Amino acid sequence: MRIVSGGVTDLGRVRTNNEDCFRIVESLNLFVLADGMGGEAHGEVASALAVETIVKFCMEPEADAGATLLGNSEPSWTEKTKRLTSAVHLANKNIYESAEAHPEQHGMGATLTAAWIDGSKLSIAHVGDSRAYLLRSGNLQQLTSDHSLVAEQVRRGILTAAEAEESEMQSVLLRALGALPDIEVDTDEHTLFARDILMLCCDGLTRMVTEPEIAGTLQAEIDPTRAAEKLIALANERGGVDNITVIVVRVGAESRGWFSWLFGGGRKKAAGNGVAGGS
Amino acid sequence: MAKLSLMFEEKTVKEVPVGNRPVSIGRSPDNDLPVDNLAVSNYHARVYFEGGRLVVEDLDSLNGTFVNDLRVERATLHDGDSIWIGKHHIKVDASGDAPVPWDTGRKASAPRINETMVLDTKARREMLQQAAATGERVQFASGRLKVPTLIVVGGRTDQKEYMLTNKLTVIGKSAMATVKVKGWFKPPMAAQINQRDDGYYIGPGDKMPTVNGAAITGPVRLNDGDVIEVSGVRMNFVFRE
Repeated sequence: MRIVSGGVTDLGRVRTNNEDCFRIVESLNLFVLADGMGGEAHGEVASALAVETIVKFCMEPEADAGATLLGNSEPSWTEKTKRLTSAVHLANKNIYESAEAHPEQHGMGATLTAAWIDGSKLSIAHVGDSRAYLLRSGNLQQLTSDHSLVAEQVRRGILTAAEAEESEMQSVLLRALGALPDIEVDTDEHTLFARDILMLCCDGLTRMVTEPEIAGTLQAEIDPTRAAEKLIALANERGGVDNITVIVVRVGAESRGWFSWLFGGGRKKAAGNGVAGGS
Repeated sequence: MAKLSLMFEEKTVKEVPVGNRPVSIGRSPDNDLPVDNLAVSNYHARVYFEGGRLVVEDLDSLNGTFVNDLRVERATLHDGDSIWIGKHHIKVDASGDAPVPWDTGRKASAPRINETMVLDTKARREMLQQAAATGERVQFASGRLKVPTLIVVGGRTDQKEYMLTNKLTVIGKSAMATVKVKGWFKPPMAAQINQRDDGYYIGPGDKMPTVNGAAITGPVRLNDGDVIEVSGVRMNFVFRE
């Protein structure tokens, strides 16, 4: 699968600091997004620590061998899925321990949504209320469940989805990295098809922009970075009350066999090198 | 506009239109359709429009809600259906339905509490219990586990039944599909089902599926008993206890 990606983060129109953080590691097809919380700039510390920990562990798991034993894992998962899940557990541990060691950081935490593409396999690891979406055949599908109070109330049938969107309790999370020494990580595996578009975003986007608008923008704008910029511009037009971060990943058609051999297109692989993006 | 008529034997007791607000049915007098009978729960069921379709939802009532002869949790209503609650029944007149386009349903709105916070385990439990006590619908909290299941009733697939345990279920000929459709000229991905917080939504793939005979234009939330047809395969969507 040919992967093209881009990501953008923005302060929004109200906040004075950006607590979001993201990384795109093109060489691994690894995408990580975190939304920090905790006053006095410590949200930034938490989200950056989450992203750094996960990228580092996925790139060189040998450096922190003990962490492969963190958390539960299903035997059926691929190695990449297991490693990504362990990385999220490790990030939780690092943030929690940092906050324990530095009293001024007490209460800091971060949401985390990460995607790793290996061939046609997509691994997702997720904690909090950032989201992963898959646009396929014009259909926008949410791959993650929000770990928020209102989402849990919808799952229990106490609120309807429309009531949840009007609720004043939207910012109350049930799970986030750094809140407790142990954490439950949502892990999922999916099979990608050619022309799928994956999007990771924080709640700064989904609270301002509707899902049909997201679907429309992702379909209309072929360049992933420009698609992310357009979505952020739309969120800002609506008030941009929170930081906004969007990563867009387009899955290209598979190599067209002998035809691309003849014309030299299919065998060339983009030489993705290291780390792009930032907070 | 759709209309509900509460009947006792052949007598009409009360008639109400179904508008933007749900119509509540139950023994308590503050319901839109109060049913004065001990077999009826205080807040027994409600009827509302969702995505242009009329839906009845049982509110975890003691004696159940029946559409025609079937006990239902949630079901799509059709013109001429009867909802049975105790000894009363409610005639459904859905002849004047105005379909609502799917993309007006979900609307983003601005957050009220600006600072994100995390609940610890104890606070989380208390808040959920509180919310459950004040909320009128707690059917999923009552511990009955329901597994959404696709039962194949026509066409060729690799299994006869599929439990939907994943966030995404692909229906098609692809080797990666969950519901593998067999036969010539079948699309690799005919349709897909996405599990969301409030239920299961079917959306198009390479083909436009139909739900209960009507072609869909976007994601449609599936109800207990819905019939899905795509690419020559006919399936029944049910919640199994």
